[in-house]
Amino acid sequence: MADMVNTSGASAVLGKFKKKPKIKEPKMTRKERNERFKKRLENLTPEEQAYLKRKRALEGVWPVVRAILVFSLCFIILYPLIFMVSTAFRPRAEMNDPTIMWIPKTFITSNITDCIKAMDFWNTLGNTLKLNIGCALLSVVTCAITGYGFARFKFKGKGILFGIVILMILVPAQIINIPQFLYFRYWDIFGIIEAIKGEPVNLINSPWTMYLPALTANGIRAGLFIFLFRQSFRGLPKELEDAAYLDGCSPLRTFVQIMVPNAASVFLTVFLFAIVWYWNDYYVSTTFFTDNTTIALALKNLNDSLRLTIFGNGNVSVSPRELIVWLEAGCLISIAPILVLYVVLQKYFTEGIAHSGLTGM
Amino acid sequence: MKKIHMSYEKKKGLYGYGFIALWFIGTLVFFISPVIQSIIFSFNEVKVEEGELAQTFVGWAKYQYAFGTDPNYRQYLVEMLQNTALKTPVILIFSLFVAIVINQNFRGRTFARAVFFLPVIIATGPVYAIITGDMSTNGSNEAAQFSTMFETDMVDQLLEFVGIYGFNDKFTEILTTLTADILNLVWNCGIQILIFLSALQNVSTSAKEAAMMEGATAWEFFWKITLPCVSPMILACLIYTIIDTFIDPTNKVMTLIVAKQTQWDFGLMSAMAWAYFAIVLVALGIIFLIIRNWIYYEVE
Repeated sequence: MADMVNTSGASAVLGKFKKKPKIKEPKMTRKERNERFKKRLENLTPEEQAYLKRKRALEGVWPVVRAILVFSLCFIILYPLIFMVSTAFRPRAEMNDPTIMWIPKTFITSNITDCIKAMDFWNTLGNTLKLNIGCALLSVVTCAITGYGFARFKFKGKGILFGIVILMILVPAQIINIPQFLYFRYWDIFGIIEAIKGEPVNLINSPWTMYLPALTANGIRAGLFIFLFRQSFRGLPKELEDAAYLDGCSPLRTFVQIMVPNAASVFLTVFLFAIVWYWNDYYVSTTFFTDNTTIALALKNLNDSLRLTIFGNGNVSVSPRELIVWLEAGCLISIAPILVLYVVLQKYFTEGIAHSGLTGM
Repeated sequence: MKKIHMSYEKKKGLYGYGFIALWFIGTLVFFISPVIQSIIFSFNEVKVEEGELAQTFVGWAKYQYAFGTDPNYRQYLVEMLQNTALKTPVILIFSLFVAIVINQNFRGRTFARAVFFLPVIIATGPVYAIITGDMSTNGSNEAAQFSTMFETDMVDQLLEFVGIYGFNDKFTEILTTLTADILNLVWNCGIQILIFLSALQNVSTSAKEAAMMEGATAWEFFWKITLPCVSPMILACLIYTIIDTFIDPTNKVMTLIVAKQTQWDFGLMSAMAWAYFAIVLVALGIIFLIIRNWIYYEVE
């Protein structure tokens, strides 16, 4: 019940958010407004007068305070990004110029092109996109199915099984990484592969280390996704399915034809988050990939690859202050795709979390 | 197929198993068995040998080593818990405040909301490391200088921004410690702000109108209406914040654990990780039990 209230409330407000009703007030000069206010006060008790005066003062001051607050907080959040853009396009020598705060004297793009070369950017981008979109799609589908199972069916051991889902959220990837690594290193299914090929398969460095967990709803942050789906499916009215069952629809078909279309926005949100988290992940991928095959990994190793490709020597010493221009440039091109995605689809990122997810805890 | 008599509920239950089957298989392979394996590691001396890991059972020795002998573990653990205890209320209050501000109607509200959530999208992994200047620069520690420069810049600009050039020293000191961390703070609040925002949007308009009619001040309104209404979300945010700081790979305990992993000391690493996990779990449980009594649920 709580979920339903939340969902409808949020969507109502978000709906209001989209189209702002414009109330046109007749324009008055400050003098006129003051006079009107005084007239209003005339017939009131002193207490009421004081209340109205206080309220008026507050209404006058608060927007200014609020504007300053919001502006400064936005500034703090955007500071690293502004800094990134500002440094990414300046020549390294100007890092040491104290007269330059934000706008460099000369504008160059060579840092960016250097980084593209050092990170082998286009190839890496292709790899990352392939891996990301594949894993994100698999995760969304499998987590949705699992979430639906937890949301709508009663079966023995459900409590314990859902407890495992919660544990999946809680246990950090770092703890279970080594055993996972061993599994992938000597991958085998009940000894079948060993019987055929004579030895287990080494999956390390193959994208299967990412696809397999995603395929079985165990990818990055899968616990959270299952949780999100469960919450949002629980928020949908039960009558929807009951009607379908009465008409002789099987649960699977009900899920595909009735529930999925109704939860479409959650699907999009989870998909977007899956893309973002797979994009940003470097911990899991460093364990399973030893080459720079994803953007996050390439960025993590940018330091070394820069030295090799640009200065032609792994041991060359560059002042860290000057190295910043390249690091920030690399950073910029690495987050650019995600940033564009966020700017275009901002609504779905925020709305989805507000709608479903944690709100019904 | 022979017709087996089965109740509708039972049939639905079977379908339930069907829906979670794929996940269950995956969990057994990719989650449960690694977890068990890692718990076993924590009671063993693990040595990396050609083609396998050699294990010798050592009982609680690894745990004893972690708490007794290891020079950093206990200290980091205490620091981390203190830090979380200090930071969590600040994060909660700050996000609630920001959510209330953003929930009001003003120009650029959509933009502000997008900006506040932005860190959630990009503030992970190497990007965050570069932004905060933590990126290791091949053994040279000068990168740290950049990081401090970054922070001092922030403080100066913020102080000038607010127009403060030196109150008494104590005050500036407090302000400095606060502002030095403000980047960290606002960069960690995205989800919480969003959760509070959606809770605030559910505060019933009738309550709001009634309060207006009675002449409640904004202050009274906050304490008597807003706070009770969002209290369930406070718990959600609290738990989220704690989990978030707990699994954050940049916190000190986590860094230590990962360092042990790169030194191939899997036994010790697992012991440290599980002890840490148990402590956080207990802390979460205690907080949950305490807070639960204070929460106001609207009667349905």
